[in-house]
Amino acid sequence: MYDDFANPWTIRLKWAYLLAVVFALLMPVFYTIGISFNLHGFGARIYEFTFEWYRVVLGDTLLVISLKWTLYLALATIAATIPMALLSAKFYKRTRRKVAFVALMLSPLFVPADIMGSSLLVFFKNLAKGFAWLGQTLGVGWFDGWFDLGFLTAVIGQIIYTHPYAFIVILITMSRYRVQQTEAARACGANAWQAFWDVEFPQIRVGVFSSCAFVTILSFNEAVRTALLKGGFDTFSNMLVAQMLNIGMSGESYAMAGIMSIVSMIVIGTVIVYTLVRAERLERRARAMAEPVMSD
Amino acid sequence: MTEPAAKAVEVVELGKNYGSVTALKSVSFSIESGMYYALLGPSGGGKTTLLRLIGGFLRPSAGRIFLHGHDVSLLPPNRRPTSMVFQNYALFPHMTVERNVAYGLKLLRVPAGDIRDRVDRMLAMVGLEGYNRRMPHELSGGQQQRVQLARSLVLERDILLLDEPLASLDARLRKDMCLELKRLQEKVGITFIHVTHNQEEALTVADRIAIIADGELVEEGSARDVYETPNKRFTAEFIGDNNVLEGTVSDLSANSATLDIGFAKIDVPAPGVTIRTGERAAFSIRSELLRIAGRNEDISDSWQVVPARYVEDVYLGLTVSHLVQLPDGTEVVARVMSDSGENGRFEPGDDVAVGWPANRARLHLA
Amino acid sequence: MTPTTDRGRDLPAPPDRWRRLLGEDGIQKWVFYIPVVFFILFFAAPMALTVVWSVFERTQFWMEPGFTLFAYENFFTSARAENYVLSMLHAAAAVVISFVIGFPIAVFIRRRVTRAAQHRVILLFILPFMISELVRVFAMRPVLGRNGVVNSVLMELGILSEPITVILYSPLGVIIGDVMSFLPFMIFAGFLALEAVQNYIFEVCDDLGTGRVRLFADIVLPLAAPGIFAGSVFIFVNSMGVALVPTLLGGPGAVNAGLIANQAIVALDFPLAMAISTIMIFTLVLLLYIGHRLFDLTKILEPIS
Repeated sequence: MYDDFANPWTIRLKWAYLLAVVFALLMPVFYTIGISFNLHGFGARIYEFTFEWYRVVLGDTLLVISLKWTLYLALATIAATIPMALLSAKFYKRTRRKVAFVALMLSPLFVPADIMGSSLLVFFKNLAKGFAWLGQTLGVGWFDGWFDLGFLTAVIGQIIYTHPYAFIVILITMSRYRVQQTEAARACGANAWQAFWDVEFPQIRVGVFSSCAFVTILSFNEAVRTALLKGGFDTFSNMLVAQMLNIGMSGESYAMAGIMSIVSMIVIGTVIVYTLVRAERLERRARAMAEPVMSD
Repeated sequence: MTEPAAKAVEVVELGKNYGSVTALKSVSFSIESGMYYALLGPSGGGKTTLLRLIGGFLRPSAGRIFLHGHDVSLLPPNRRPTSMVFQNYALFPHMTVERNVAYGLKLLRVPAGDIRDRVDRMLAMVGLEGYNRRMPHELSGGQQQRVQLARSLVLERDILLLDEPLASLDARLRKDMCLELKRLQEKVGITFIHVTHNQEEALTVADRIAIIADGELVEEGSARDVYETPNKRFTAEFIGDNNVLEGTVSDLSANSATLDIGFAKIDVPAPGVTIRTGERAAFSIRSELLRIAGRNEDISDSWQVVPARYVEDVYLGLTVSHLVQLPDGTEVVARVMSDSGENGRFEPGDDVAVGWPANRARLHLA
Repeated sequence: MTPTTDRGRDLPAPPDRWRRLLGEDGIQKWVFYIPVVFFILFFAAPMALTVVWSVFERTQFWMEPGFTLFAYENFFTSARAENYVLSMLHAAAAVVISFVIGFPIAVFIRRRVTRAAQHRVILLFILPFMISELVRVFAMRPVLGRNGVVNSVLMELGILSEPITVILYSPLGVIIGDVMSFLPFMIFAGFLALEAVQNYIFEVCDDLGTGRVRLFADIVLPLAAPGIFAGSVFIFVNSMGVALVPTLLGGPGAVNAGLIANQAIVALDFPLAMAISTIMIFTLVLLLYIGHRLFDLTKILEPIS
C-alpha cells in the first residue's frame, strides 16, 4: 500500500531504521568473517589479510571428514524431507481436519533443539533396546542394531527439524495453484500422478527448489540434535561447537564460522536472487494478464 | 457394450454430504443422448455438486450414476466418458494453447502427426486458428474458454460437462458465447450438460432444463415448458418475471380450481391436479400477460380481472414494468414493451383494474 | 450407499483386486498418510513418552521402569527450579525487546511498502536468520567482548572511558543473544498476521479519521494478535530451550532450561533430563492453550487455506 500523503522524510527515517536493524543482525557475522582473514586473529591491533586459517581448517583431515558427513546428512535429509513435505501439503489440501494436522506438523518448530534432542535420544535408546529384546525373545538376529544411534537416527532428527519449514514453503507455493487445473487434467484423462507431474509440479517447482535450499541450510547449520543423535560421526557444526567450547576463540574457530556463514550466504543468496528475478518475471506476466482479463 | 437405448446420463437417488452439510439430497433424473441440457438454479443449490458428481470429481454419499448404461459411480474422472469445461483458471498456465489442447491426446498416446491435425481442426472449430503458440495469459477470457472447449472436445468423449463456463465473461460476450456453444453442440452432436445460475443463458442454450435448488431437483422439462408452464412455485419465482398469489381452494371443477385470495375468487386451470377444497395453494402469472385498465373498462370475458391501485412505472429499456397494488397490499407487476406505450396513461394512486387471460394462470400446490 | 433396484442393466464387473489395491482408493490414498504416521511415531510419541520416562528410576548409566518423582524432587529442590524461572524471565525480556524492535518493522513493511516489494523486504530478514545460529551467537563474542566492536567504537567516540563488561558473559548478554537470534521471527510472524488484514480496513480507518494510536490499538493489534502471539511463543520457548546462548554468552553458571536438560544428559541422569523436558513441554502447551483461548490461533492459518 502506498500513501500519497505520507511525509517522505518520515518514510525515509523508517527505512533507515529498518536497514539499521538488518545491519545489526548481519554485522557480527561479517565482523567474524573479517577476523577469520586476519593472520593475527581477534583483538589484534594490526590487520594482515591471510587464508592461513582456512588452510589450516581445510588441511585438517578430521574436519574434511566431518564436512563429508555433513553433506551426506544434508542429502539424506533432503531426500526424505522434500517428498514428505509434498505429501503433507497435498494431505493438508484434502483433509478436513486441517487444524489438528497443521498443529502436528508445525509443533516441532516450538520445541527447542536441546529438549527435542534429549527426548529423541532417550526414545531411540529405548527403541533400540526394545528391538534387541524382541530379537532375543524370538531368537533371531534381524532386529540387532535397529535404531542404534547413528546416521539413521540423526537423519530422523533432522527430518523432524526441517520438515515444518519445507512444509510451509511448499504449502505457500501451492496456495497459489488452482485446483481446477488438476481437475481439468483429470478430465483430459490423466490419472492422479500424471496430473500432478504434468500440471501441478511445474507450477510449484520453485517452492520445491527453495525448500530444498532451506533444508540444506538448516541441516548444514543444525548442531544440537545431531550432536545428541549422531552416534559415531561428527558433522562440521559439531566440530565447530567442540572447537569453541574446548579451545575457545581460536583462529580456526573463526575460519570455521566463516565457512559456515559463507556457504549459507551463497546458497540462500542464490535462492533470493532467483526468487527476485522470478518474481519480476511473474509480475510482468501478471500485469499482462491483468489487462485483458475475461473480456474480449 | 453400449446399449443403444441407454440414456447418456442416468442418475439414481444420488446424494452428497460434506460431514453434516447436505449438498445434494437423493436426486434422480436422466438425460437423453445428444441433448443440450442445462442445470439451472441459485448458487449454493447443489447444481455444481451434481455436475461434479457426474464428472467424477466428487464421490457420491448415496446413489448411483450411470453413463450410457454403465455404473461409473466410483470411477475417477479419467475413467469416465466425460470431459469438463471449468469456470476459469483451468488452462494449464505453463503450456501453450496447442499443448493445452493436445494434452489429453498425448495421454492417449495418439501419434504426434494426428495430434497436430486434430488440434488444428479443433482450434479452427472454436475460432482460434493460428493461436497455437500463445500462452494462456496472452488470451482474453473468451478465448481462454474457447481453448478449454477445444481441449475437451478434441477428446471426442460422449458427454461434455460445462461448469458455469461463461460466468466470468462480461454480459455482451456471454450472449455471443451462448449462441456459439449452442451451434457447437449441434455440430458435434454429443451431450452437453451446462451448469449456470443465469436463466437467460440456460434458456438460450438448452433443449431441456433442470431446476436445482436446496440440493433437490425442483423441476425438469423443455426450456419452453419450464418458462411458460412451470409446475412448481419455486420455478415460477426463479425463472422469468412472475406474479405469485396465494389463496385457499374454495371450489373445484373437472379442469379448474377456484382460489379465494381474500378480495376475489380466481379460477385457475387445474387439469389432472389432485387437490381438495380448503387447502392452501398458489398460482402464478407471467408479468408480460398482465394488462392494466381503468376500473370501468370492459375486458374480455375470458380474462380474470381484479381491482387494484396504480403505484408506479419502472423503465427497464426494452420493457417497462408497471407496479400495481392489490386490495390486500401485495404488489404485482405488469410488463409491456417500452415502445407500445401501453398502460402509460395512469397516474400513481389511480384506481385501476388488472387482468390476465384466465387460462394462462398456473396452479402451484403448497 | 443406497441399494439400487436392478434394472436389467449390465452392471460392470467389479474392479479387479489389484487395480483397487493400487488405485486411488488403495495405496495411492494411504501414501498421503506417511507424514502423519512419521510425525506421530518419531515426534508425538517421543514427546508423550517423555512424561513416562521422567518418572522412571535412575540407574547408573540408564534408567529402568518404575514410578518415582525423584527427578522432579531433584529439580524443584535444587537451584535448577530457580534457574528455570530465571530463564523464563530472560526469555520474557527477549520477547518484549523483540516485539518493540521488530513489530514496528512488520507494520511498516505491510503498510508503507508497495505490495510487490513487500516480500523482497522480508527476504532481507531471512538472510541473517539463515546463517547458522551457532555462528551468529558465536559472533556476538567478538562484538560484545571487553575489547569487542561495541566497546572499541564507543570508546573511540569518547562516549565511554571504561569498556562495559555487563553485555557479555552475563544475563544481559544472554538476552542480547536471544534477541539477535530470534528477532526475525517476530518480523515474519507480525508481517504474516498483518497480511491477513485487508487493505480496505486501513482505508476505512483513514476515511473515518481514526488516529494513529487508535488505529494501532483498536485495529492493528487485535487483528495481528494471533501472529504476534505465535511469534512470541516461538521466541520465548527457544530462548528458554536453546542451550547454545547461555553456553557461549552467559557468565559462569548461566543456564536455561535447555542447558539444564543437556547437563543432565551429559551426567547420564536421563529421568532428570526427561523431567525437565516434560516441564518445558507443559510450559509450551500451557502457553499455546492460553493463546488459543485468547486469540484463536487457527486464524494464523487463513492465508494458507
